[in-house]
Amino acid sequence: MSIKIVNLKVNGVDRAFMAKPETTLLLALREQLGLTGAKRGCAQGACGSCTVLLDGAPVVSCLVPAATIDGADIATVEGLADGQELSDVQQAFLDGFATQCGFCTPGMIMSAEALLSRNPNPTTAEVNEAISGNVCRCTGYEPIVSAILDAAQRRRRSLGTRADATAGEEATL
Amino acid sequence: MLTEVHVPEEVPAVLSLVASGARVIGGGTSLMPWLNDHASPPTELVSLRRTGLAGVHRAGSTVAIGAATTLSQVEHDARLEVLNPVVRSIASVPVRNLATVGGNLFARQPYGDLAVAFVALNARATLVDENGTSELPVEDIVAADRRSVLVTAVAFERPGPGTFKYVKAARRRYNSASVVTVAATITESDGIVTGARVALGGVGARVVRAHAVEDALVGRQLTDSNVQAAGQAGLSELSPADDAYASAWYRTRVFPVHLRRALLGR
Repeated sequence: MSIKIVNLKVNGVDRAFMAKPETTLLLALREQLGLTGAKRGCAQGACGSCTVLLDGAPVVSCLVPAATIDGADIATVEGLADGQELSDVQQAFLDGFATQCGFCTPGMIMSAEALLSRNPNPTTAEVNEAISGNVCRCTGYEPIVSAILDAAQRRRRSLGTRADATAGEEATL
Repeated sequence: MLTEVHVPEEVPAVLSLVASGARVIGGGTSLMPWLNDHASPPTELVSLRRTGLAGVHRAGSTVAIGAATTLSQVEHDARLEVLNPVVRSIASVPVRNLATVGGNLFARQPYGDLAVAFVALNARATLVDENGTSELPVEDIVAADRRSVLVTAVAFERPGPGTFKYVKAARRRYNSASVVTVAATITESDGIVTGARVALGGVGARVVRAHAVEDALVGRQLTDSNVQAAGQAGLSELSPADDAYASAWYRTRVFPVHLRRALLGR
């Protein structure tokens, strides 16, 4: 049995840890990198509470042997806030009461982030499909779907405002 | 439990590791749930992640998909539009970002819906062993336990528009294994069925090639009564199991309905 040093960029920061063969990305994040946002739910890839972004794509980290992803780029929920300022998705979850016990929330938010990066104007059906791998026992899903649609709207509006401002500056030059 | 994980960068290294007892891991979506149960036997894995086996190539009407291509890559590739409803019926986004095309050939029923589709599409698999490269129909791969074989690619002829039909009946709309999966390629001429390949999932220990259904369709019109008769003919080819998703009785009971929905769209 060999132990490997695995290097990852996690939330923009270079990290390294020792991976045994059975070390999954989830266990590495939680137990070696201090990032306990991703949760241990089923170890089967069925509940989605371990969802993080691997090279930009949401994956169930409980199924990824860490030794296979040396050099990868990982994004977790801990990397979303800017200091004390929550991301638009996080804020929308808070404002929309889309989190109760909070266990599914990091995975839901990472799935939402991935969706909005790919599709800035999703329909309800597209949101449903995007979070179909994330189980929630508490909310009944509706507030989560609303929060994601709300976050999408906030993000489109804020990008629109910045685009307008740039256009305004160019017009006066 | 996992005793070792190898991440080679070339196929020959994969083959020699398989020869010495390692198991191939694609996305890990079948193997890792089993290995995360630490009561599983000591297992050595060889990962395909860095072997360069992912990718899609189109040459004329033939499409070839590297075995390590993820289901998400299939989902987002316009050349593979015919497979879009198939892959989107499988698991969920975070699983599809890991699960591979090759791995789906070895997923046990009632999983393995892409394999069902490949049988209906008459797909061929490229195999590599120490003697070199060969080709086998996917239908032969899924018919037997072939764990010692390395599949490097799957290829098929793109079907004519409207000829590929697919329905997966499941307990939930998303992220749910098959109750009954029907995949079919049906060619017609002047309203008469001239060719039929029908493959079924969820209704046996392995993918079922429904010859009796095909025989009942060829040479006839695709009418409600003919499709119903074909469904009845197909019952003898089903050997479903009871599992957490549905009982064998239920699967048999609803099979003709889902066959009709696949073939007639209603």
